[in-house]
Amino acid sequence: MTTTTTALPSAEITRPRTVLVGTMFGSGAAFMAFLGVVLVYVSERASARSADAEWFPDGTIELGPSGFIFSTLILSIFTVQWAVQAINNNDRTNALVALALSGLFGASVFNQLWFIMNDTGFSLAETNGQFMFFVVLGTFVAFMIVAVGFIALTFVRAFIGQFGPRKADSVAAAAFYWNTVVAMYAIAWYVIFVTK
Amino acid sequence: MTMTDSPPATETASAAPSPAVAGLYESLTTTDHKRIGRIWLQSGVLLLVGALVLGVLLGIERLDADSTDIFGGDNAYFQIWALYRIALALLVAAPLFIGLATIVVPMQVGSTNIAFPRAALSAVWGFLIGAGIMIAAVLANGGWGAVDRASGDERDAVALTLVGMGMVVLSLLLASLCIATTVISMRVKGMTLLRTPLFAWSMLVACAVWMLTLPVLLANLLVAYVDLHNGPGTFGGGLSGDLSIYGQIAWIVEQPQVYAFAIPVLGILGSIVPVAAGVRGARHGLSLGLIGFFGLLSVGAWAQPYFQETNDALVRYDEKFVYIAFGIAAIFPVLGAIGGAADSVFRGRDRVAGLPPAHLLGALGGGVLLLAGTAAGVARVIQPLDLGDRVSVAGVMNLVLFAAIASAIAGLWFWAPKIGGHELSPMLGRMVVADIVLGAVLLGGAQFINGFFLTANNPLVAPTEDAADVLNLVSLLGMALIALGALGLLASLAKAMRSGETGADDPWSGHTLEWATATPPPAGNFAEPPALVTSESPLLDISPDEAADEGEES
Repeated sequence: MTTTTTALPSAEITRPRTVLVGTMFGSGAAFMAFLGVVLVYVSERASARSADAEWFPDGTIELGPSGFIFSTLILSIFTVQWAVQAINNNDRTNALVALALSGLFGASVFNQLWFIMNDTGFSLAETNGQFMFFVVLGTFVAFMIVAVGFIALTFVRAFIGQFGPRKADSVAAAAFYWNTVVAMYAIAWYVIFVTK
Repeated sequence: MTMTDSPPATETASAAPSPAVAGLYESLTTTDHKRIGRIWLQSGVLLLVGALVLGVLLGIERLDADSTDIFGGDNAYFQIWALYRIALALLVAAPLFIGLATIVVPMQVGSTNIAFPRAALSAVWGFLIGAGIMIAAVLANGGWGAVDRASGDERDAVALTLVGMGMVVLSLLLASLCIATTVISMRVKGMTLLRTPLFAWSMLVACAVWMLTLPVLLANLLVAYVDLHNGPGTFGGGLSGDLSIYGQIAWIVEQPQVYAFAIPVLGILGSIVPVAAGVRGARHGLSLGLIGFFGLLSVGAWAQPYFQETNDALVRYDEKFVYIAFGIAAIFPVLGAIGGAADSVFRGRDRVAGLPPAHLLGALGGGVLLLAGTAAGVARVIQPLDLGDRVSVAGVMNLVLFAAIASAIAGLWFWAPKIGGHELSPMLGRMVVADIVLGAVLLGGAQFINGFFLTANNPLVAPTEDAADVLNLVSLLGMALIALGALGLLASLAKAMRSGETGADDPWSGHTLEWATATPPPAGNFAEPPALVTSESPLLDISPDEAADEGEES
């Protein structure tokens, strides 16, 4: 090697997209934790079926309400991306509206999930199926709470003017985590409510 | 400012009245990655000593399988046995590497600090609190379930064990996130991922694998915890079954997952050996690829009983093709890395002739132990040998985890000037490393061979062959030798702390940016921003004349 680094200019020490990269790693870890719970559900369900045991009582799991939750979350994907776009365009008003709407959608998801959990009449200690139903949805609720908190924090920071076109990473990070949580619900919806 | 923002690395001024209180205050509030890393390392070393004490007691107990005198009953014996295994991976190997990486990786990539320093500080204290809860809960008759199927009063202690373990795992994940983010987004300009130093790269791979797999362990713990309190009692929460909750989470210390704790062994091998041999590491890209491939093969969260459908007609997960293929393939990247190290030693044979330095001995010893561990792992997955439920499983675990520990100790000796500002005793270092490597060979080797004499992995099943007793004695000798090495490690660290002698800035003629800083490194690591990086060994790119000029100036 003939190049000499000392003859070259000093390198800048920068922090490009640190928050976004960290959030991506964190979101990946959260997704794996959720997947771990879902896979226990799937393997237990397969065991129950191979033993001809009942997993859920007939007619207790309905597709309608869970589909509404999914629709709400799909709408929220658009609103969080709207917030990212607005911040990139230095449009704080639009960003605040989009973030508030996303948070509202998140709150409505809690409301709808509460309805579903009560509507089934399941008990945690009754059967493996009912136990895993609560564990999967409870884990999702925990990650959803974090997502709503992240959005709320981003809203406050946007409100006090901490973001702008050159400083939009935190909003993009919040949107990334939000979308990860939506993907979690998509899996839960398919596994619990579609294939039961 | 939120927790996610990194403030400039400045030492917090202390207003506390005494040095001890001031030190504690600094440790609780610092955002300096070097101090945070030192807390990880101190914790890892102390927990290593604790784990080895348990290991020696377990070895003595195993000599007489007909009675469980030391621990006062089968349940307690089982709980301590499980604690030793979990502790060696989660409380010793991982924290030692995280500690090294927290200190060294930011300097290697030319950064002024670690990413999210406050999160990194939270991680180390969360780890210590979680580890304390976990150990205390096990000693309070908790652990990962009872083997006598007579669970009762200890349910709360079992729940507390799960909470403590969950905190430990969460803290390791948080620390991993900080390290991985540092490597990805805080590299100095010119340092592409392909020019990343091997240790930093190996930590990136290890942290990525931990972040993909340890959350699955968290999911296991969650299911067991909820079941323990309110569930139907069929997910380990009923505390029944041969090994109860431990049986569900044992995958964390079995192959392929156990290899994940040894990924940085390859990075340390590739970082230390070329420097010790005085040659530029050859085929850097290939080394990066081998480490990445080993990381891929160590993703083992899928190989666990929770994901196994309970149907006798099905093939068990450890009898499936993927499991066997992973087990066999894992040896190849290790062989490749050792081949690269051998090439460096050969090219620099004049310099390494004579008594090797402790860090070279440790790096090579760690590599050889990992090779032995993966070779034993190959035998473990060959079905006709039927070693799956035998003590050979523990042999693989001990070889791999002590490979990690030996490598971490090699890293301690190598980077000591940057860690604590002092160089460690070379003679004590050789003794420590030799003890640990030799002890691990005796321990892991004897356990592996013992499996061929039908000795069960479950410690409560008495061996049936006479040869097993001899091999158990050899295992105990190996564990005692490792414990002796750990005492030497403590003595070395105490001696270095007392000496007050500052180490040289670059005692080994290093190749990477951490050796371009002063010893001890200042706050912010670099007095001046590093020069533009143009290769994976930036310090070798400085011409001899310029190096001489810099030496005269300093």
